Amino acid sequence: MKRKTIKKLVLENIYLLIPLVLYGIYKNGYLVYSRNLLAFSNIFKPLYLILIGVVIKFIVDIIFYKKFKIDYNLLYTILIAMIMPSNINYLVFTIGFLVFYIASLYLDKYVKINKVCLIYVLLILVNSIFNEFTFANNLELKYSFSYNFFDLLMGRNIGGISSSSIFFSLIAFSYLIYSIYYKKEIPFVINITYLLLAFIYFFITNDNSLLLNSEVIFASIFVCTIPLYSPTKLIKQILYGISIGIITFIISLFNSVISIYCATLIVSIIINILLKVLKKPKIKEKLVKS
Amino acid sequence: MKQLITLDSNPDVYIVNQLVSYLSPQKIYVPIINSNYNVNDYIKKNTRFSSCFSSVSGLVSKQKKVLWNNEKVIAYEINNNYKEESISKIKYKKPTDLEEFKSLLEKYILNNILDKINKKEKIDKLIISSVDEEEYTLKEFIILANFHKEILATCEYLLKIFNIDEITLVTKNINAKSIRNVKSIIGTYPSIDFKLLPDKYLLGYDEYLCEYLNTDINNTLVLKTSDIYNIYNSIIKGKNITETILTISGDAITKSFIINTKIGVSLKEIIDNFIKFNTKEFNVYVNGYLKGNKIKDYEDIIITSSIDCIVFKSTTKEEEDECINCGACNKICPVNINVLKCLKHTLKSSKCIGCGLCNYICPAKIKLKEIVRGDKDEEKDN
Repeated sequence: MKRKTIKKLVLENIYLLIPLVLYGIYKNGYLVYSRNLLAFSNIFKPLYLILIGVVIKFIVDIIFYKKFKIDYNLLYTILIAMIMPSNINYLVFTIGFLVFYIASLYLDKYVKINKVCLIYVLLILVNSIFNEFTFANNLELKYSFSYNFFDLLMGRNIGGISSSSIFFSLIAFSYLIYSIYYKKEIPFVINITYLLLAFIYFFITNDNSLLLNSEVIFASIFVCTIPLYSPTKLIKQILYGISIGIITFIISLFNSVISIYCATLIVSIIINILLKVLKKPKIKEKLVKS
Repeated sequence: MKQLITLDSNPDVYIVNQLVSYLSPQKIYVPIINSNYNVNDYIKKNTRFSSCFSSVSGLVSKQKKVLWNNEKVIAYEINNNYKEESISKIKYKKPTDLEEFKSLLEKYILNNILDKINKKEKIDKLIISSVDEEEYTLKEFIILANFHKEILATCEYLLKIFNIDEITLVTKNINAKSIRNVKSIIGTYPSIDFKLLPDKYLLGYDEYLCEYLNTDINNTLVLKTSDIYNIYNSIIKGKNITETILTISGDAITKSFIINTKIGVSLKEIIDNFIKFNTKEFNVYVNGYLKGNKIKDYEDIIITSSIDCIVFKSTTKEEEDECINCGACNKICPVNINVLKCLKHTLKSSKCIGCGLCNYICPAKIKLKEIVRGDKDEEKDN
């Protein structure tokens, strides 16, 4: 059994994200550029966003800890940059990310709320003030396409700037499930719950648009399984997965891209409230008894 | 059955699998319990003390506080006169039944073997294990590789003592030298079944070994090859146990090796004569990095027969991070302890077998075993 340090775990996750970023550059960069709907320099927008995030993390680390650390915050930074909409404004992302990132570092000391989802939702809200609230790139806004199953599997869905490839997400998942550090039960439960509900919805309304949601697959593999913000006991993981699956489906009826991030954030907040309400008296009781 | 674990090999540590001898120490230490000697009293080799025999002859120079089997005790310091003058031997006869055998085990202070035998109501099967548990230990391997004839002869003798039909001798399938040596003579011992085990952790524990071999632990006696070698020297040859074999390894020292030395030698003397350090910052673990205990005052450690290995581990590779809540410690624990709960509420668990797998797997390098076993509380109390 391979023993890994935190640094190794983070780097391993980053390596697994590389194909998704490259696909993001192809789908939201090259394809749009080839139809003259994007400037050449913006082909690499997914990379720029990641670089901005990493530079901000680097500066914050140097100021606060006096050295750059390869820790889970680096992974969160890259994940946040990957799930941004393609029309995100650089300035909004830079300032918003800096402010929310520093705030989340303080928040971590008091509550354990999924940082990726929290910063994502806040950034989307801020971005929607300055930009149109959409996840489609210029090409998808201008033309309508008829994709088959394999196109969608490869990642032609409307979604985050580098998170839309179901194929590469599943490849990463098939590697991660062999790691003892990875909570593989969570993505399974989330996707099964979500798919069950989506199938029921399909049979009732004949609407199949919710069936192949790339964001649900990507986030369930990388975001919902972040160790610090997810439960460790199997029964709790199942409950966590089911609740995320159900809330994701409900929000998907309004917006399928942000649904899983909102659902994870809601569940994360509920868990924190429950922990504060239920756990503390229990521990106090034990102490009194002992 | 709980899944057995394959441990990562440490590329920084290479143990030279040849035996180094250090049988003429300058000083040895023996604990003062129920004995009354003064400074400048002469002690002969093989003089019996409460928990050992004097391994050299010489004058008592002083009394000193030392670490004997993890306990702080006052001991006599004996200056070796290199004459090896022994107390006169009584005529010796090899025992032929179990009761006689047990009384001799007590006489030769082989109490760990005696305890194992006494715990069993009935012994139907005997397993001799030459399994070294950790990456930093090669004691059992070297004993089987170098003393295979003695081990097999003792196994044959134990068949008669315990009145059983078959003995199983097991070793790891990576121990090429010991496998080759045993296979060359195993044909002459039809009652000894030689089995190879995979290189997995936990097979060094009697419970998991019996489970792996599909035998009932209640009726099976599991002895180590080092135990068998001690039985050979004491009960078959009539010698007192005054020497021991241990591995000295770790990434903080330039060369890892296996040493045959006298019982009672201080670790400081071995360090002065054999060890060069790579770094000034290191921790010392007695009996393995995973299973063993971290010792602060390592220069006070006295080598006894219960020490299998001493590991010098550089501290730069051991810096702890904050727990990331990955739950790997809970998943790997062979006795299903909720290690994370113990960490969060600093709870002890009586179920812990001290295998150290939680320490091994933790990506944040948190010393979980010490928390689960309550060793951290003891450190604070001290």
